[in-house]
Amino acid sequence: MWSEAWQEYWTRGRGSIAFVFGLAITVLLVAVALLSLVWTPYAVDAIDIPAKLQGPSAAHWLGTDQFGRDVLSRLMAGAVNSLAVSLVAVGIGAGLGVPLGALAAARRGLVEEVVMRFNDFTFAFPALLSAVMITAILGPGAVNSIIAIGIFNIPVFARLTRGAALSLWKRDFVLAARVAGKGRTRITVEHILPNIASLLIVQMTIQFALAILAEAGLSYLGLGTQPPAPSWGKMLNEAQTLMYLAPQMAIIPGLAIMITVLGLNLLGDGLRDLLDPRLRRER
Amino acid sequence: MTLLSLRDLCVTLETPEGPAPILQDVSFDLAAGGSLGIVGESGCGKSMTALAVMGLLPARARVSGAIVFEGQDLLSLPEAELCKLRGRRLAMVFQEPMTALNPVKTIGFQVAEGPRWHLGLGRAEAEARAVKLLDRVGLPQSRFSPDLFPHQLSGGQRQRVVIAMALACEPALLIADEPTTALDVTSQAAILDLLAEVTEAAGLALLFITHDLAVVWQNTAEMLVMYAGRVVERGATPAVFDRMAHPYTRGLLAASPGALDAPLPPGRRLATIPGQVPDPRQRPAGCVFAGRCPRAEADCLPAQPAERRLDGHAVACLHPHLEETPL
Amino acid sequence: MLRFLLGRLGLLIPTFIGVTLVAFFFIRLLPGDPLELLAGERGIDPARKAELMAQMGFDQPMWKQYFDYVVGIFHGDLGTSFASKKPVLVEFMTLFPATAELALCAIILAVCLGIPAGIFAAVKRGSVADQAIMGTALVGYSMPIFWWGLLLIILFSGILQWTPVSGRISLMFFFPQVTGFMLIDSLLSGEKGAFLSAVRHLILPSIVLATIPLAVIARQTRSAMLEVLGEDYVRTARAKGLTRRAALWRHAVRNALIPVVTIMGLQFSFLLAGTIIIENVFYLPGLGRLIFQAIAQHDLIVVKDMVMLLAAAVIVVNFIVDLLYALLDPRLRGGRHVE
Repeated sequence: MWSEAWQEYWTRGRGSIAFVFGLAITVLLVAVALLSLVWTPYAVDAIDIPAKLQGPSAAHWLGTDQFGRDVLSRLMAGAVNSLAVSLVAVGIGAGLGVPLGALAAARRGLVEEVVMRFNDFTFAFPALLSAVMITAILGPGAVNSIIAIGIFNIPVFARLTRGAALSLWKRDFVLAARVAGKGRTRITVEHILPNIASLLIVQMTIQFALAILAEAGLSYLGLGTQPPAPSWGKMLNEAQTLMYLAPQMAIIPGLAIMITVLGLNLLGDGLRDLLDPRLRRER
Repeated sequence: MTLLSLRDLCVTLETPEGPAPILQDVSFDLAAGGSLGIVGESGCGKSMTALAVMGLLPARARVSGAIVFEGQDLLSLPEAELCKLRGRRLAMVFQEPMTALNPVKTIGFQVAEGPRWHLGLGRAEAEARAVKLLDRVGLPQSRFSPDLFPHQLSGGQRQRVVIAMALACEPALLIADEPTTALDVTSQAAILDLLAEVTEAAGLALLFITHDLAVVWQNTAEMLVMYAGRVVERGATPAVFDRMAHPYTRGLLAASPGALDAPLPPGRRLATIPGQVPDPRQRPAGCVFAGRCPRAEADCLPAQPAERRLDGHAVACLHPHLEETPL
Repeated sequence: MLRFLLGRLGLLIPTFIGVTLVAFFFIRLLPGDPLELLAGERGIDPARKAELMAQMGFDQPMWKQYFDYVVGIFHGDLGTSFASKKPVLVEFMTLFPATAELALCAIILAVCLGIPAGIFAAVKRGSVADQAIMGTALVGYSMPIFWWGLLLIILFSGILQWTPVSGRISLMFFFPQVTGFMLIDSLLSGEKGAFLSAVRHLILPSIVLATIPLAVIARQTRSAMLEVLGEDYVRTARAKGLTRRAALWRHAVRNALIPVVTIMGLQFSFLLAGTIIIENVFYLPGLGRLIFQAIAQHDLIVVKDMVMLLAAAVIVVNFIVDLLYALLDPRLRGGRHVE
């Protein structure tokens, strides 16, 4: 039964350009990132000063940076960084936010009020700015970036889950389950969550894209992943002073970020078109 | 004098799975000040007929035939000319009062909008007119300020506002597309009475679309029965009710809860017509109703029966009922 | 309406309190002693430290420190910056107009271009124009703004030399700051070419900052319009004889803009962060500089105050957006039903 559903999604998905491109880009990115864990054209920290600031060539496909390091290799390793940080951050956000939202919708009353106040409250702090401050004060680094970004993902998922769950709780099939005597936790797990899964997946894709941008922003400001570990944001920051000497250094890492985020956004759009019309029709 | 005349109107919708003939060879006449009811079940094309007259069909609709209103063929008019007629000479009341009004504008504004648009009335004048119209439809100013918003009114009250909007520019023709279907029984009766009263007082022609035979009986002088995009029976309302020559019409009657004077004996279920309305993309070549008709025979299949005149009314059937309707 | 307002205001107060609490305690929760941090590697003489602590009030119990802090806020006294020894409020007010000017220009650009683009795309749904607009919007909010800024600098300042690289106005001009808004002050000064120079300096940062909000607003407007265009009341308007265009503008657009207004509130949060990053990229003096310097110098008082002020700004803006929303949509105001 499950595989039939997937089959149908796949057929429909193939018709959507957004979905196809988005998926292709994302898969490519993940593949490159995973590949870089075992192999890169050059060692990521291989310094080679005489070869510094070269443009793309046969030896170095994307050129070299100010220390002679191969840009392509650093880019690939940077992919791992961006993906890892964003994945964990969104994971934290969803992992904490979804249960909170589900709890708020299931319990109502005081619990809901508390969760919602906490939500509104966190929304009051401008996310990126607060992430900047958190990392600045806690200390820069990948782990703190993850925490900072993750914290601001929690209310997004909490709000989404609560909203969707609330309307589901009113539906007849849930009422039937309650009449049958099922407890609230069981209903949440068996009925509510599977039905909002598609909404959550779409949101996770979007949040993932935003997290990559946030991580790049933090690294750009020097507050994210620290050298010598390569990160796309830091590469851009270093390129700023070299802008006129070697413009490709400023263009390439940003392009990588943009393509990644674009791919994820396309995927999110495609997924939403794929999954939502079914929800709509059910209504 | 004939106000509205439809001649062989055909409407086909372009769908991804192919063209769907929604209306086929629909023709009728409506005299000025007259009242015509179009009755049939959901999907028979009666609403589409109304939209076609108003020129509000969806963009993917192909139309052929003629719709002559006050001497002009509406199908040959450019959109700009149609805009001048809509609301001014022909007006429409829709089925769903809860969503027919703009939620962020006052009812006074919405009723006044037509006169301001068509008649060039100033704001104060138009507002005064709106107040009078609202009063006319049973929403007196003492209880219903024109500054109210739609969400502050009930379904029946909103429908009255819609009727007021329709009457605002004193049109010659009022099309009512199932105006009471979405209302509760008490409101239904009230709205029907209101419609009857205003159309008579103003001498408006009324084109009344419904699925409810009882409503047709009470409110129209002439009627048409439609099935699957075609007219299957037509005539003066009393005559059609007496005769009900087409098997579909009889089936409709038998399925109406209010049809029998006495309540159903216990254990008896309401009769239904077996089968379903055929998908517009798969209409049979012969009589559209043949598949579900208890009186169908071999000669019903090759071609759509032409209309035949029986006394007092016309029917498109090769084997119509000739005896009187049991009522 | 009044009840709605009061209800909203009532919610504000606990949120404000919460914000001040977080700002206050967050700094305290940091690892390390604030004064030691400030002193850095030089270390600090215990006697001097005790003196400073008494001066700063750090030797008081927590709750008293918090209380003094809140009272100070109401008096407009946000404390004194460790590093510059100037009152935080003064520094804030000096640099605030630069940031505000940039943010305002960006939001005006975003709204004036984004909303018409969204309406156009919705009306021409499915056409090449629609897909082009939406595709561009998608690319627009997939870009990291600092990169986009760098690209435009390379193109317009480096290659084409149309715009300057940094600053708010050419060094040639010097005139008194009246409002702090360079555009206004340059006009007031009457110096030839000053206004033009101010515009040239502002245009690139504004475009970069406006890009993401523009893209988001365009998308949201389009989907709101699509939903509204399918509504019954638009059909009713046409049945009354309104032309397609009239029905569009009088009924559809007005209603579609309502959800878009709420988006603007969210975009404000983004704008704050974005402005500060852009100030970094274009070397503009503004709140961004204040914040980064404070962070670099471990100037916790300034950091704490900035967090609080910015959060307060977001809360106020969201409150205004809520009000606007209620003003635009009468359904939210309640109102008695008529029987």
